[in-house]
Amino acid sequence: MKKGILVFCINTDLYRYDKIAQKTIPLLKKNLGLPVTVVTNFDTYNLLPPLGFVDYKLIDNQTGNFINNKPWHNLDRHRAYELSPYDKTLLVDVDFFCYSDNLLTLFDTDHDFLVHDQVHDVTGKDSYNFRRNSSIPMVWATLIFFKKTELAKSIFDMVAHIKKNYQFYCNLYRIDFPNFRNDYAFAIALQQIHGFVGYPVMPTKLATLPANAKVTSLDDQGITWTVEDRQGSIEHTDVHVIDKGVAYV
Amino acid sequence: MEISKLKQKSDRSYTIALEKQNALEKAKSRMLFAHNGHLFNADAETISLVKTLSEELGTFVILDVNDNPVLIEDPKALLDVLKSKNQEVLNSYHQLYKTITETR
Repeated sequence: MKKGILVFCINTDLYRYDKIAQKTIPLLKKNLGLPVTVVTNFDTYNLLPPLGFVDYKLIDNQTGNFINNKPWHNLDRHRAYELSPYDKTLLVDVDFFCYSDNLLTLFDTDHDFLVHDQVHDVTGKDSYNFRRNSSIPMVWATLIFFKKTELAKSIFDMVAHIKKNYQFYCNLYRIDFPNFRNDYAFAIALQQIHGFVGYPVMPTKLATLPANAKVTSLDDQGITWTVEDRQGSIEHTDVHVIDKGVAYV
Repeated sequence: MEISKLKQKSDRSYTIALEKQNALEKAKSRMLFAHNGHLFNADAETISLVKTLSEELGTFVILDVNDNPVLIEDPKALLDVLKSKNQEVLNSYHQLYKTITETR
């Protein structure tokens, strides 16, 4: 069975995700030792530096979504199933810094689809408690493990359907975020496909460095940051970095 | 004690608590492992359960982390992995904990 990592990397007018990929893809390769495929568009591809043995899939990404009034190119995630060349895929956000081999465990399970439903704010501020922002518990689409199976395909197809009718689902589930968000689309799809009675999840918390924490340095061991005049650091721990300024550190 | 010293002490306590929490979450993540296609935590509860059941039963069923039943046909192999993983992770946590509390 082919195993690998799929990363979506598409620049916006404001953010240079290619510069983030330059930092995160070598970490994924080093710590997980799996082949990597980058899904990108032509403009971003032209800016990406050589990343060694990496495959590329060029797409015409869909545009038109926003976050905090800034362009947000997150509308193609449901295509991961068709775009992945692997039988077992770890779909990873480009701003996920992989500092351990923990995620390899997922490839040894019988699960068709796994995603985090809990995060751990490494600054200790518990910044991501969204439980009251919708009637459905959110999942974190930052990391998705899936196999090429009928169940996984159903979930991705359901996300495509939800995306098309997002305002309806937003109203139905009383979601406070009116712009399309994969975290909610996958949460809804998982709930519906599993018959509204729960679904398997990654039983760990996704370590996350929130947007107000500014990354001050990073290397192949870990990351340091400042937040509210305090310094923090983390080593050998996978972490999702929200601060897009990390591109320039 | 001067208020500035008290603030320093408070800051130090906060930093230690935060780093300890991050180290603990890291340890919990590392305790997860796959066995026969199912996910288990190498925590004290799982070790105790597997050890207790294996004392009287050759094979038995336990629940994985997502509450799926799993038939354990080789309890000794599972127990060995559980103990080894648990101690590997807790030793790392112990080292990290010492660093956090001693160097601050």
